[in-house]
Amino acid sequence: MRHGFLSLLRKDFKLMLSSKFLLLVFGSLILYSCYINFFYANLDQDIYPVYLYDPLGTESEVSSDVIQVSSISELQTVCADGYSVGIDVSGGEPEIVMITSKIESIDRYRAAYALMLLSSDDSSMAEIVGENNREMKNRREITCEFLFFELAAVGFLGLASTLFKEKQMGVIRVHGIIPISKTAFILSKLILFLLVDLLFACLITIINLGFFDGISVLPDVLLQSGILSMIMVLVGFFCAVRLPDFKQFSLLYLVLAIFISTPVFLAGQTGIDWVWINYHPMYHLFMGMKNAYFATPSVRIVYYIVSAVAIMLLFLIVYRALIREMAKEG
Amino acid sequence: MRGLKYQLKNIRRDKMCILSFLLPIIVGLAVSSLSDASFTSISETSFGIIENNLSANDVEWLRSYGKILVFKDMNMLKTAVNNPATHLIGVLNDSNGIKTVLSGDELQLYAVIGNTLPQLYMKDKMVSNVKVTIYPTENNNDFLKSLLIVITMVTALFMGCTFNAMSIISEKEDGIALINKVLPMTKKSYLIQKITLGFVGGVLSTILTACVCIRLEIKAIFLFLILIVLSAFISAMAGLFIGRFSSGLMIGIVYIKIIMILFLAPPVLFYLAVSASSILHTLSYVFPSSITFYGFMDLLNGHIQNIGLYIIVLFAHCIVWFLMYLITGKHRENAY
Repeated sequence: MRHGFLSLLRKDFKLMLSSKFLLLVFGSLILYSCYINFFYANLDQDIYPVYLYDPLGTESEVSSDVIQVSSISELQTVCADGYSVGIDVSGGEPEIVMITSKIESIDRYRAAYALMLLSSDDSSMAEIVGENNREMKNRREITCEFLFFELAAVGFLGLASTLFKEKQMGVIRVHGIIPISKTAFILSKLILFLLVDLLFACLITIINLGFFDGISVLPDVLLQSGILSMIMVLVGFFCAVRLPDFKQFSLLYLVLAIFISTPVFLAGQTGIDWVWINYHPMYHLFMGMKNAYFATPSVRIVYYIVSAVAIMLLFLIVYRALIREMAKEG
Repeated sequence: MRGLKYQLKNIRRDKMCILSFLLPIIVGLAVSSLSDASFTSISETSFGIIENNLSANDVEWLRSYGKILVFKDMNMLKTAVNNPATHLIGVLNDSNGIKTVLSGDELQLYAVIGNTLPQLYMKDKMVSNVKVTIYPTENNNDFLKSLLIVITMVTALFMGCTFNAMSIISEKEDGIALINKVLPMTKKSYLIQKITLGFVGGVLSTILTACVCIRLEIKAIFLFLILIVLSAFISAMAGLFIGRFSSGLMIGIVYIKIIMILFLAPPVLFYLAVSASSILHTLSYVFPSSITFYGFMDLLNGHIQNIGLYIIVLFAHCIVWFLMYLITGKHRENAY
């Protein structure tokens, strides 16, 4: 029995290699890591630029953050973006000019901030209560997003590509008559894809968070990756068994990758107040992953119980679908 | 023409294909139904305070600069300030007025607001003595909402590419590509059939998405249609390239994924992070989807001065992509 299961694992690994799934996974790893390290890690949003038109030199204690302009038309041009703030002192007294941001409170702050820069540089320092700096926050945030996207979309896709190949080769029909249980057939794929997903999670975390920061969050990240991976592989298995060809499956993948993940990312990363998002199962999986990356304590027994039940239920559904498919194949 | 009829007949049976073209429209409906208030609440600066810590006057003053969230104790405030999804600035009572609490991982914008708020509190009276002129903006759309709508439309265009690529790859896998070689069908008619399907699907899907999401002036509608047609053509061509260079489904998926990232990520990033006057912005024209994205955003914001340039560059892209497809086809034995 054990020998049969090992043979299945070996066969699935060979199929995985021939379908170039590992190429896709490691290509993605390189692509994501380059993007994180060369671009996203340094992403920032500057404070409102303040421009001053002071032809008479009236203001003498101007902050070094203020940019001087030489004409009123230049002042109007630079302030046309609805973000910058202009100070016109050509009439002797300062006048704040700007295009509205459409949010009154922000406009009010922009005006007050610009005026404050006219007097001195004496800003105080706020009390810092967090442990991350901006760069590390960016790294954790985007690594979490990429890992979630990769596990949700690609794990789902990888399994399907091998299963469709097997369907074409008539392997499912053969399995109907050989003495290897259907559970072993599902488990061998599940274990293999779970291992690849965990390896991917491990590499993307350590490469992009750094060795020590990566290691410190890795146990939690691997736990969340394991849950997500098993759910997605089983969903992928079910879809691959039920759908007639890979083209239909790949379109479904695109739908999932773009339209299902986007609201989850928006709600999870911007704090947008959508009540309905709580009914979106992927949101809870994403938040589980995010809490793991930010080492936020979130021991929620209900979440783990629901996840375990979902995995078992999916396994049963896949098992029944496989039996049905084998019966159909004769 | 008959070949095209067969291709259309084939699609009619393919529910998933129809669904994929319909999906951007459904998402467009969902985005346009979201209230503007939920988008505004993200952009507004948020301040966290502790119950009964600040005086009523101070709370009122703070409310004039952003929305206020009240927490029961310091621990809850610290947890909220540390929440990476928000940019909450904690504000507490202090002997000299107020003091602020930050997590230390904020964007520069919020770090500066947090660091300057106590000084602003001390000096705020002087703002009321200064004349402040705020001009209205020409753009009445919410920025984030516009961004989501445009991303949805660019995605709708991308569907044409995916459809073409998957159609050609599955024909290769099923051996239909080999049958096509012996059928009395020219490469030209094959090319027209394949481009037409992805192109028409992409155009229709994007136009219908636009219909449910946005309202434009007549002149803008015309320019909008030109942008859609040119972009859908490039998207269909990208699908043909993927189909030609993919030896199998998995390789096809790798290419689709790369193209999808190049189609969606650079436009958003360049639009958000790079100034419109910089050389990098001009260099981003190398990605056709960037030009489409800038064009859609400009039209939504009521700016049409750069649309002519965008149309010329997109047209140049169409010619280059088409010629490249023909030239590379001549060098390949299995050119379809």
